Amino acid sequence: MIAEASPVSHILPLLVFFGAIFALTAVMLGGAYFLGQRHRTPRAEEPFESGIVPTGDVHLRFSVHFYLIAIFFVIFDMETVFLFAWAIAVREAGWTGFIEALIFIGILIATLIYLEAIGALDWRTRRQRREADRRQHGSDACTGP
Amino acid sequence: MHSDALIALLPFLMMTATAVAAMLAIAIRRNFALVNGLVGGGIVLSLLSLAPASHRAPVQVTELLRMDDYALFFIALLLLAGLAVLGLCHDYFKEREGQNEELPILLGTALLGGSVLAASSHFASLFLGLETLSISLFTLIGYPVEQRRSLEAAVKYLILSGTSSAFMLMGIAFLYAESGELSFGGLGRFIASEPAMNAVMVSGVVLIVAGLGFKLSLAPFHLWTPDVYEGAPAPVTAFIATVSKGAVFALLLRLFVETGGYGFAPLRPVLSLIAVLSILAGNLLALLQTNVKRLLAYSSIAHMGYLLVAFIAGAAIAKPLVAESVTFYLAAYFITTLGAFGVVSMLSSAQLEAADMALFRGLFWRRPYLAGTFTLMLLSLAGIPLTAGFIGKFYVFTSGADGGFWGLLTAIIVGSGLGIFYYLRIILAMAMEVEKIEPESEEKFVGLQSAVTLVVLSLLLVWFGVFPGDLIPYIHALAGSFGK
Amino acid sequence: MELLGWIPFFPLLGFLALVFFGRSLSKPMVALIGVGSVGISALLAFLVGFELLRGSMAPYRLALGSWITTGDLTIPFGFYLDSLSMTMLFVVTGVGLLIHLYAAEFMEADAGYARFFAYMNLFVAAMLTLVLADNLLLLYLGWEGVGLGSYLLIGFWYVNPDNGYAARKAFVMTRVGDMALALSLFLLFTELHSLDIQTVMERAQSEWKVGAVLPVTAAALLLGGAAGKSAQLPLQTWLPDAMAGPTPVSALIHAATMVTAGVYLIARTHVLFMLAPSAQTAVAVVGGVTLLIAGFSGLVQTDIKRILAYSTISQIGYMFLALGVGAWSAAIFHLLTHAFFKALLFLAAGAVIFCFHHEHDIFKMGGLRKAMPLAFWSFLIGSAALAALPFTSGYYSKHEILLAAFETSPILWGMGCLGALITGIYSFRLLFVVFFGHQTREVEAAIGNRMRIPLVLLSVLALFGGLLQIPLDTVFPASIETTLPSPSPWVSIVTLMMPILGLLIAALFYLTGTLSSTAFTNEPIKRLLLSGWGFDALYRTLFIHPFVALTRWNKKDVLDSPYLRTAWLSRKLHDLTRAAQTGRIRWYAASMAWGAVVVIAIGLLS
Repeated sequence: MIAEASPVSHILPLLVFFGAIFALTAVMLGGAYFLGQRHRTPRAEEPFESGIVPTGDVHLRFSVHFYLIAIFFVIFDMETVFLFAWAIAVREAGWTGFIEALIFIGILIATLIYLEAIGALDWRTRRQRREADRRQHGSDACTGP
Repeated sequence: MHSDALIALLPFLMMTATAVAAMLAIAIRRNFALVNGLVGGGIVLSLLSLAPASHRAPVQVTELLRMDDYALFFIALLLLAGLAVLGLCHDYFKEREGQNEELPILLGTALLGGSVLAASSHFASLFLGLETLSISLFTLIGYPVEQRRSLEAAVKYLILSGTSSAFMLMGIAFLYAESGELSFGGLGRFIASEPAMNAVMVSGVVLIVAGLGFKLSLAPFHLWTPDVYEGAPAPVTAFIATVSKGAVFALLLRLFVETGGYGFAPLRPVLSLIAVLSILAGNLLALLQTNVKRLLAYSSIAHMGYLLVAFIAGAAIAKPLVAESVTFYLAAYFITTLGAFGVVSMLSSAQLEAADMALFRGLFWRRPYLAGTFTLMLLSLAGIPLTAGFIGKFYVFTSGADGGFWGLLTAIIVGSGLGIFYYLRIILAMAMEVEKIEPESEEKFVGLQSAVTLVVLSLLLVWFGVFPGDLIPYIHALAGSFGK
Repeated sequence: MELLGWIPFFPLLGFLALVFFGRSLSKPMVALIGVGSVGISALLAFLVGFELLRGSMAPYRLALGSWITTGDLTIPFGFYLDSLSMTMLFVVTGVGLLIHLYAAEFMEADAGYARFFAYMNLFVAAMLTLVLADNLLLLYLGWEGVGLGSYLLIGFWYVNPDNGYAARKAFVMTRVGDMALALSLFLLFTELHSLDIQTVMERAQSEWKVGAVLPVTAAALLLGGAAGKSAQLPLQTWLPDAMAGPTPVSALIHAATMVTAGVYLIARTHVLFMLAPSAQTAVAVVGGVTLLIAGFSGLVQTDIKRILAYSTISQIGYMFLALGVGAWSAAIFHLLTHAFFKALLFLAAGAVIFCFHHEHDIFKMGGLRKAMPLAFWSFLIGSAALAALPFTSGYYSKHEILLAAFETSPILWGMGCLGALITGIYSFRLLFVVFFGHQTREVEAAIGNRMRIPLVLLSVLALFGGLLQIPLDTVFPASIETTLPSPSPWVSIVTLMMPILGLLIAALFYLTGTLSSTAFTNEPIKRLLLSGWGFDALYRTLFIHPFVALTRWNKKDVLDSPYLRTAWLSRKLHDLTRAAQTGRIRWYAASMAWGAVVVIAIGLLS
């Protein structure tokens, strides 16, 4: 059993708040429903694009590279935050803190090396990269038998 | 931070260093066997470093980690399981297209997360460990990117795991809001000082249980299990089934013992319901399943339910006995599950994941040793005597009976009865004679590492099943020191 | 003497070797193991037997260790050798060896050569355990072991379902008797607290009064067991069908050894029967009636092996008669001579069948006297001994039995004499039909030495076996034939003349053709006799039909329904839970949320 049941007065404002939100939403949607006019033409079903007839699909597919770079940015940015926090307390943290920060930075550097080595920081697509490779070493391949 | 703490932390440091080193190795040269060996060596080093760490145990390293015998035993168990999975992975992935070198690294980080969980004594380290484990797992599950099922499984696991983490964080927040404590010990002191729990505390604990219940795939948080098990590559499935669950269960037990969570009367019906639902749902779902990986997924749901019974019994019986039961059961479950998925993994080829029961038809006539191993594992899962699984189940029964939880024991009996049906169904399928001899084009994929792993697992299974006395003293000792 | 323990061991070893490696062994190797193992046993048996004969004939006991120890029940694993078990030992190993040797050639063309010898060796091992056992439980083990061997060998050609049916029939019918034997064992153990044969006998003698209920019950149950194994009334119907097995099997198991186990059992426990005069009389009556009805059936059979099977039943009837009238030694003596001449007859019949490509009908044979001289002479000697013509082995033993029967009851003697007449008729009918007259078919195969040697040796034994002197007096109390004064000479003369009369009648019918058999036979009676007095039909209506009706009525086993319901429920629940596995992530997430709500609610409300 719960020893300390919350008094109703505690929850009351919350309930009023929820009620108000529901009421407001109902009024807005219901008002539009009842007051608005309805067209049942095929055009009415199309999304509104400032009077321009929509073309193509909304589901655009971006290259995964955009996300990768974005993620790297977020990650490394966040790591910097830790360093800021350490920088403020560098004296208090002392040598232990310093060594720990070094390890932290070291791991970051290792990660960076890894990312560079696997080509994650390369903006080009895989195809572009292949073509570039071919251009570099390509002379042999083209003049071959 | 003094040297004792550093030495106690050596296993973690080793694993971290291994991950970084493996990453750098990939940066220099991509070679699957090399990275595999590197990570394997790192795990072995971590295992070796457990010895000096155990001399200093128990050590409380900051507020976050507690390196005692219990933690060290589980870390050892997880690392050994990780080593077995690594062996299976080697043979499973070596023939496959794509860049497989990151896989061992991810296994390493997942092991690190699991080990942190086993040692954590604070909600912060709990969360860190859990997320390190989970995030590694997302990638591991979706590792064969080209395969739709794997990708689907990874996304499902990602989203649902996020949901469960949200539950758990909410629960932790509730507890913190009430007690102002994040360490297990502190929370325990707060709970001890309170005569009764208020609604916020109860909700908090239940939410944490729900969050962890997801990881353990306990009903009603189990729905993801078959899809993810089916989609993930077989060795990774073995990893999820063992390391992930074992670590979380170790944590759950520590959490309850150190915070005095057993004192929560309201928790008992919750846990009992979860246990009964898991046992029944798991076994019933497995009953007519024809996909072996899904079947094993359901069976793991049921097994977690059995394990939870021993856990619940902790409310009424001595904590060391519970720790002993849970630990032995988990050890047996690890061996068995690794073996079962190991067989699936060895049967799988780059083109075809061996999951459909039809592929197991007549296996005895085609690959008798593999079929024999699988039979052994299934018998252990069913809890047939002379296997480690039987001793484990016996422990659970003893705990439940000591605590007088007859309702839960009834559920176990019903579940075991159902279980025998579907385990034997696979064995029967394997023993069936196939009319046409399959053309020999079916390549006989035999990997040395997998074979060795399976042999070792089978031997252990029978050894602990016949001479459980060889393992029990260790578990007894660690359990005795636990929860005092 | 210590070699005694090894005697059953070698056939067992042979069985194991043939079971595990028989497939990969060549046929000569299989024969070497199969025959050799029995050969070694025979050699050991003769060594041990001579030592016993040379000595004072004191029973020898060999304790090999404890078999079962539980509570106050201790069953040792031990053997007991006296002149009775020694006689049996000689029969089993000696005749057994000859038949094994014969079978090595007879079965050579069979694909299941190794399997055959494995079963045969198993049978010999079990039979030796039976005769050597010093306690009733070990005897029972051998008893069941020979039953198993018999079952396996009757159904040896299992491809034909009829043979499988015959094997099952033999097994089930003898099982009825085994049940009685088991019950008597239970009774003896609960009442006398021991299963050791000698102890039981001593205690029975000192604790039970003559004619009391307990000894009569125990003896009657033993008689039931013996009747089952030895194919006596009313459990005799399985033996003619058991001829479905290979002929050496019929010779060894269904003529020489296993079927006489019942006689051995009663002789072994004769103390009990002496304490129960009514049970002993029952033994005599069973024997007398059986010998007559089996003899009459033998008169009309046309299958060569069935004739011999009925004659076996009939001859064992004589042994039972002897046991019933207290002529213990005569019974065992007849057992011995019967083993010789019946094995000989079967083997000779086997030779005929072998050369005729498994033809069994005697009227399709004929005139084989010239074509198969060895088989003819063997058959002649065997038939003479079977009919108990003077100076053959059968004469000595049967004569003793009939004289002893006369002392007890002239009625029993009359039955025995009538039986002897019939025996003379059917045995010579068989001989004349098969070996005289016109040869209708060419003999298609010849027999080799491995089949010849046993025939010759058994012929010698069948002729002169009656001169053997077995010192059975040490085992049995002085039998009536020695204690009573000799009966009047006309009894002896009638007894003597009966077989000769039978021979003449058979000659008139079948040799000279002076009398036509069709003129005398009434078709319904012939059919009745041919079917063995219709016992099969009787048992079918009495037992099988009601039983089948009962099982049909309970076809959908009432007790099954809880299991079926459980299975059905599990299936439904499986479908129900499976419906939750939609594979849709939104549903999964929602169910997690609902699950969390439910568990929180339970946590809060409890």
